[in-house]
Amino acid sequence: MSRDFDVCVIGSGAGGGPVAYRLAEAGYSVVVLEKGPWLREQHFTKDELACCRRAVYTPELRDEQHVIEQADDATGWQSTPTQASGWSFWNGNCVGGSSNFMSGYFHRLKPVDFKLRSTFGPIAGANVVDWPIEYADLEPYYDRVERLVGVSGKADTHANSEPRSSSDFPFPPTLEHPISARIDQAAAQLGFHALRVPRAILSQPAMGRRGCEYSGFCGSFGCSSGAKGSSRAALLDHAVASGRCEIRAHAKVYRIASDARGRISSVDYFDHDGQSHRVDAQIYVVACQAIESSRLLLASVGPRFPDGLANNHAQVGRNLLFSGGGAGSGDLVFEDHDEAATAAMRVVGPFVNRALDDWYTLDDPQLGRAKGGIIEFLWDHPNAVVRAENAKWRDGELVWGKPLKRRLEAWFRTDRTLNFEVFNDWLPNDDCFVALDGQVRDRWDSPVARVRIGAHPQDQRVGRFLADKGELLLRQLGARRVASSVGPAPPANLQAGGCRFGSAAEDAVLDADCRAHEVENLFVSDGSFMPTGGSVPYTFTIYANSFRVADRIVAQLGGPRGSA
Amino acid sequence: MIRRSGPRSEPVEPAESFAAVRDALLSRRRFLIQSAGGTIALLFGLRSVGAAEDPDPWPTLDAVLRHLLPSEPDSPGAEEIHALDYLRFVVGDQKVSAEDRQFIVQGSQWLNQLSQQTYARAFVDLDDASRELLLRRTAASAAGENWLSTLLSYLFEALLTAPAYGGNPNGIGWRWLSYVPGFPLPGPGTRYPELPL
Repeated sequence: MSRDFDVCVIGSGAGGGPVAYRLAEAGYSVVVLEKGPWLREQHFTKDELACCRRAVYTPELRDEQHVIEQADDATGWQSTPTQASGWSFWNGNCVGGSSNFMSGYFHRLKPVDFKLRSTFGPIAGANVVDWPIEYADLEPYYDRVERLVGVSGKADTHANSEPRSSSDFPFPPTLEHPISARIDQAAAQLGFHALRVPRAILSQPAMGRRGCEYSGFCGSFGCSSGAKGSSRAALLDHAVASGRCEIRAHAKVYRIASDARGRISSVDYFDHDGQSHRVDAQIYVVACQAIESSRLLLASVGPRFPDGLANNHAQVGRNLLFSGGGAGSGDLVFEDHDEAATAAMRVVGPFVNRALDDWYTLDDPQLGRAKGGIIEFLWDHPNAVVRAENAKWRDGELVWGKPLKRRLEAWFRTDRTLNFEVFNDWLPNDDCFVALDGQVRDRWDSPVARVRIGAHPQDQRVGRFLADKGELLLRQLGARRVASSVGPAPPANLQAGGCRFGSAAEDAVLDADCRAHEVENLFVSDGSFMPTGGSVPYTFTIYANSFRVADRIVAQLGGPRGSA
Repeated sequence: MIRRSGPRSEPVEPAESFAAVRDALLSRRRFLIQSAGGTIALLFGLRSVGAAEDPDPWPTLDAVLRHLLPSEPDSPGAEEIHALDYLRFVVGDQKVSAEDRQFIVQGSQWLNQLSQQTYARAFVDLDDASRELLLRRTAASAAGENWLSTLLSYLFEALLTAPAYGGNPNGIGWRWLSYVPGFPLPGPGTRYPELPL
């Protein structure tokens, strides 16, 4: 039977891009359906309004939102639509998805992340399991991402370094800020080991993309040089150039149809004008970011799937993950330092690129033997308006007039704030999941995702342990006003889980290849597959696993075609 | 910023409890939504709500902006950063919620009514000390504080966002605060209302 395409990919971010790239490379026809517009390098500027103060790269919450369920001591769980709270869980809806706006901190998972259950044992209240694959299974794909997406770094020998098949990164490190050497020094004085952070940012032109231009405005902004390894710039542009990949922007998939045998038969989407279209393929790949991938499966009922596609064991949406941890900061006050040091601190553009992973695993009197995490150092985000916003409140009262102006002068001119962010595991638990909301619908009249965001208390204990170490380093640097905060609120941009992979359909949506146990022509290739999340940002691992899944799809289709 | 923990536009430190997160998120929006119906004018500090509408809110808004960010010999104020032009852009911008835009205009009308009730004069006709007293009284009410906080946020945008949006002419705000912007900046064709979204 003739099909429109060999493979249909829903979502064009870090989960969808590698599949489209690899399948097109292997000679198969691919269609990528992306809900958002197709913006390119020339559309991206260093615009605080566009990136961070208006819904430009994400939907208006009045059109599309989520309902968030938060723990409440009095009433159990309290639901809040995000249109009421303003707390957006969208992270980038355009071709390339949120990878356009990432900071590109590319740490690999470490071997221990694949076997937390067997290494540390069970944790009461947490659904910790080992992965069905090992680090060695994913390592070749991390290596492929480093080459194809473009990762700049230097492989230093380090106590916690994970094994590598290549001796070093394919691109030299991005330029480093003068503070980086001071962090190294401060870490050494404390007996810590500062790690040079690999970045998914080209330090030199390659693969038709320009090298980094060091604007100093990277995370939250789209890249105007093409240096950042977004799915769009690094993969989809090449896939389209092959002639075998078609990208349909403004294509909002609202249903995956399945037949009486339980196979997917087609996909329905709305275009920019609200017209419905249908497309079919041999294999379907869902990669809408974790929350939306679960939502789409739950909404896609069929004759064999009354509770949603691939959900006959009631696993879809369960064990959603965010990232545990928190953030801290300290002010490096110019008058505490000599002229040369102050001039060095004022430099804008090069990256800090330093992290601590000394406590990736813990053996601590209070915490026992446990999984830890990493501490990432970075300058305070360069956005100016958000910095000024903090100046308008003093002791709960508004400040204006000349007192406000003196405050702005002090806040902008007298110091520079160095931050750290802590990343540790968000333990999978029964109170963190995606369901369909019974009342709130999006502008296409589909039920929105209802997301319960319960966190396990262990996450905060580990986060606090790590944040205390981050504070020590800031104090060693001579920072003033050092403080940190670790809480249960999830970072909405660091999502995984919801369709975990595992060997048995009873407790996993996907098999070890990320094919649905219950649907032979369905794969999920975004971060949904992760049963535990590790203690680093997710994008690198999503990319690597998506390339692994792509190889399994090529195999299922009969191997590479022709001379490809 | 790798972790994104709060709502857009408003700085939120990672909170110690869910209740703190929820309260921080909800307070402002709840006021905006309620204010759309005009039911909280009394919370603004008014003794009663007048029926007549101020036909032109812009002179009042201009006077408030100049009071919130005054001009000084060595530093720009609302006038120099073209704050009023910028606010006109905001009030006409579909990307700003209708509630927010209505609230800006409605607040100026309430303020004028309060001024009439207190001093029997329009806000623009008050001297500097009376303006300060009236705005402090406004800030003592929940809705009034919310309105002033909203204006301050848009003042900061006029001061510190790209000149292409109408404020911050020639980067005057950036120069004052020794701030280095990122390049490329938005300009004709790349301002967000012009993107092919």
